[in-house]
Amino acid sequence: MLEPLKRAGAFARRGVLALWLACVVAAIAIAARTNYVADLSAFLPSTPSAEQAVLLDQLRSGVASRLVLIGIEGGSREARSAASLRLAQALRQSGAFDAVHNGDNSQFEATGTFLFEHRYLLSPAVDAQRFTVEGLREGIGETISLLGTPAGAMIKRVILRDPTGETMRMAEGMLPAQAPRSDGGVWVSRNAARAVLVATTRADGADIDGQERSLQIVRDRFAPFAAQGLKLVLSGSGSFAVASRAQIKTEVERLAVAGGIAIIGILLLSFGGSLRTLACAMLPVACGVLAGIAAVSLVFGNVHGITLGFGTTLIGEAVDYAIYYLIQARPLPGGGKGSGARQWINDNWPTVRLGLWTSICGFAALLFSGFPGLAQLGLFSVAGLVAAALTTRGVFPMLAPDGAPGVGMRRRLGQWVGWCTAVLPRARWPFAALSLVAAITLAWLPSPWRGNLASLNPVGAEKIKLDEALRNDIGADDNGTIVAVSARDEAGVLAQAEAAGVRLDRLANAGVISGYESPARILPSPAMQKLRRDALPDAATLTANLEQATAGGPLPAQRLAAFVTDVQTARQQPLLTVASLKGTPLAPALAAQLLPGNETRPWRALLRVQPGPQGVDMAKLRTALADLPGTQVVNIGDELGGMYTRYLHEATLQALLGALAVCVLLALHLRSWKRLLRIAQPIVAAVLIVLAVMSAAGIALGILHLVGLLLTVAIGSNYALFFDQIRSQQEAQPAGTPAAVDQDTLASLALANLTSVVSFCLLAFSSIPALFSVGQVVAPGILLSLLLSAAFIPAPKG
Amino acid sequence: MLRTDRRAVLARFAALSVVAMLSLPLRAQAAFDLPQLTQLLSRVKNSEAVFTEKRMVSILAQTLMSSGRLSFAAPDTFVRETLKPHHEKVAVVGNNVTMSSGSRSRTVPLDSVPEAAVVVEAIRGTLTGNRELLERHFGATVSGTPQRWMLELVPIEPRLRELVKSVQLAGQQSLVREVTVAMADGDRSVMTIEQVASPKPASAPASN
Repeated sequence: MLEPLKRAGAFARRGVLALWLACVVAAIAIAARTNYVADLSAFLPSTPSAEQAVLLDQLRSGVASRLVLIGIEGGSREARSAASLRLAQALRQSGAFDAVHNGDNSQFEATGTFLFEHRYLLSPAVDAQRFTVEGLREGIGETISLLGTPAGAMIKRVILRDPTGETMRMAEGMLPAQAPRSDGGVWVSRNAARAVLVATTRADGADIDGQERSLQIVRDRFAPFAAQGLKLVLSGSGSFAVASRAQIKTEVERLAVAGGIAIIGILLLSFGGSLRTLACAMLPVACGVLAGIAAVSLVFGNVHGITLGFGTTLIGEAVDYAIYYLIQARPLPGGGKGSGARQWINDNWPTVRLGLWTSICGFAALLFSGFPGLAQLGLFSVAGLVAAALTTRGVFPMLAPDGAPGVGMRRRLGQWVGWCTAVLPRARWPFAALSLVAAITLAWLPSPWRGNLASLNPVGAEKIKLDEALRNDIGADDNGTIVAVSARDEAGVLAQAEAAGVRLDRLANAGVISGYESPARILPSPAMQKLRRDALPDAATLTANLEQATAGGPLPAQRLAAFVTDVQTARQQPLLTVASLKGTPLAPALAAQLLPGNETRPWRALLRVQPGPQGVDMAKLRTALADLPGTQVVNIGDELGGMYTRYLHEATLQALLGALAVCVLLALHLRSWKRLLRIAQPIVAAVLIVLAVMSAAGIALGILHLVGLLLTVAIGSNYALFFDQIRSQQEAQPAGTPAAVDQDTLASLALANLTSVVSFCLLAFSSIPALFSVGQVVAPGILLSLLLSAAFIPAPKG
Repeated sequence: MLRTDRRAVLARFAALSVVAMLSLPLRAQAAFDLPQLTQLLSRVKNSEAVFTEKRMVSILAQTLMSSGRLSFAAPDTFVRETLKPHHEKVAVVGNNVTMSSGSRSRTVPLDSVPEAAVVVEAIRGTLTGNRELLERHFGATVSGTPQRWMLELVPIEPRLRELVKSVQLAGQQSLVREVTVAMADGDRSVMTIEQVASPKPASAPASN
């Protein structure tokens, strides 16, 4: 060989190595700076509809995302109510919460005073008619009828200043219809077994660190009561986010460690105790994971915890490349030292490369998903697999030119696999029959695709149940119906809310709904306030009317001088605005229902509808509000469900496109329909059987099962390709030559399969539903793919 | 002398009161008590009545008069409809209270307003003969005979005692004739009840 050529070759090799090292270093640097997130917003659509925009606003930064639901259990009734009072006090003083409610009415003294002082601007009963002789008589009569009853105790204190009962009318409008049970002066659950509180964190819902600190404050302040034998339970979306982040973190660590140990064990078994081989085999895995993180981080700006957990399965797939190479790169007889790599690149790399392309096709489909979470999974897998394959192809020939020397237990494995491949083809008809049964079962059973958004939630069913129970206690149903109105400015949106309110009042009187909450009840529009203020009569008129209205009644006019004075004061009162409410006790309540806008976003008011006895008739509700501009009726439960359906539909389409792309790629490469069919058979059969078993077992399938199926196709097709390669090599040999199946190739296949099955099995035992679903599908799927490939693609009898 | 006399009187008084205290439970058991009363009342499954109410309120110059209809149906429905002087309606079904006045109407859970629940549960618990419910919320004392009984209910919850001193119900057999609510601030209301439809034949021995 010519000396310069050799030197150029060495130079090129060194160049490849340097480039590879540079890439690894860059990936490490990016991964180290990556922001890891764990909230569910990655699984919310990036291009929402108008209704979804309302919902996302609520989910991401609305007051709903800042609620902490607190329950106190155990101990005596008195101990719980005392703890509720003192805990609420401590939390209010901590400064970490905008509001803390526990049903302790003494807290509302300030609110009461504010409302009382502004009653003639805020009371819905105030209009011109209210201060005529007839109006006064009616108002006073109604107020008086409450005196001498428990409900009248509050009125009695103020009746001389407020004889028409405006305070009562305001309270009626503002008190929630789903109020918690009150016992011992604090809120309790309906069966009184638990005291309940609800706090709004100052930290934003998306700020998980802030949420975690707020929750810690609750736990710290509760510690003295825990010592008395009381138990604290916490829920809310902030608590969910914190819990899922912690859970995903420990789970990912656990999976990575367990997967690593299992695969190292398998490698030791197959290559003996060579550390060098072991390090080699783990190299593509490490590079793959790094490349995945770096790519996702560069494109999305963060890496979701679920993506990372899913990434551990890449260990199983990427280690396959190393196994193929280390076993299959054998120097040809007479080829000399170092010829193994060349032989592998000639004979086996094309098959591995084809397998890589099919996998990429499968995952690339996810890249176009409108949900950032799925797109992350796709990108992570594509980048990881490419990096692992390139590391194997580019770096291994230099590190291990002749594969790995050790054999470990591999010989025996090879023999055993050889025996299996000889026996399995005899079972091809039973297998075919099984696949047919599976297909029929699937056609016959109802569709198992009925997973829901909750199935993506990593927090356990127990925590979800607790959340539902606490929400029930407090009357904070988050799956209710909202009427959302929007307008350019504050005055506009409040007027719009009042217009919607008029329609809703009609529905409430007709019994279609039982009521609704509106920000316009806390803060009426400026136009409405002005109308009320203008309706207030001067002192002389009012006194005259009052004289007439109270004649012969139980409450003579001369005792109501303070009322006349208050009305005169109210005529000079400035109108209330969002700004003037700032710092008053009403501000947090208003903030929950009125979302300020800016140049790009409109102001939005949320009117929560309380369902009637038969729930909410959405059609009637929509019809009633149809002609109001900027008004939408959103049912949060339906909207979430609809979002998931759209999500599933989109993912199904992408999975089908991915499968189609895999077929086209194989067809182009093989240029033989017969071989394409031969490869497709075992994969399709494996998918059918897995699906049929899961449907028959009654498992609700969702998006992640679909991703799992896609993975099964992508990985399973690699095995089928190898069997197909073996068979076509044998077919190409002249007739009569004994068909020597390379037991090492078979052993490499079995090993690769084993590692993948093991890593997906680990996922199947994960407590995170997203990972669990994937593992549940892929582990049996790829094992079946291998067995069926051996059965359906038999070596011709020699 | 005088001192000895006084001592003797005191001793006799003490002895008498011990006897009286001992014999009280015996007499109560032998006569008419809460289990017996609630059992009697629980036989009536529904009823319709008219009422007139007088209310004495300290800040008002006159006694307030009102009248209307009452109806109840076991196990947990109770409706009070005031016809004069204003039309008003309070309907309690299970844990829901619907208050209507004019064209306005609103529904709240009864247990979220203990102040209102105290009177509602006193009347509803008595009408349905729900002893467990009465004993959960009140200290209950029964006196009289089945022919002419009196049930005094005092709220157990201290916060409610600051509002309602007691609810007294008087009646005859399974019928409630009068309800007196004494507020802690001295205000009182007395509601007189007159049956309009006799209880269903199977339910009560209404004959005297």
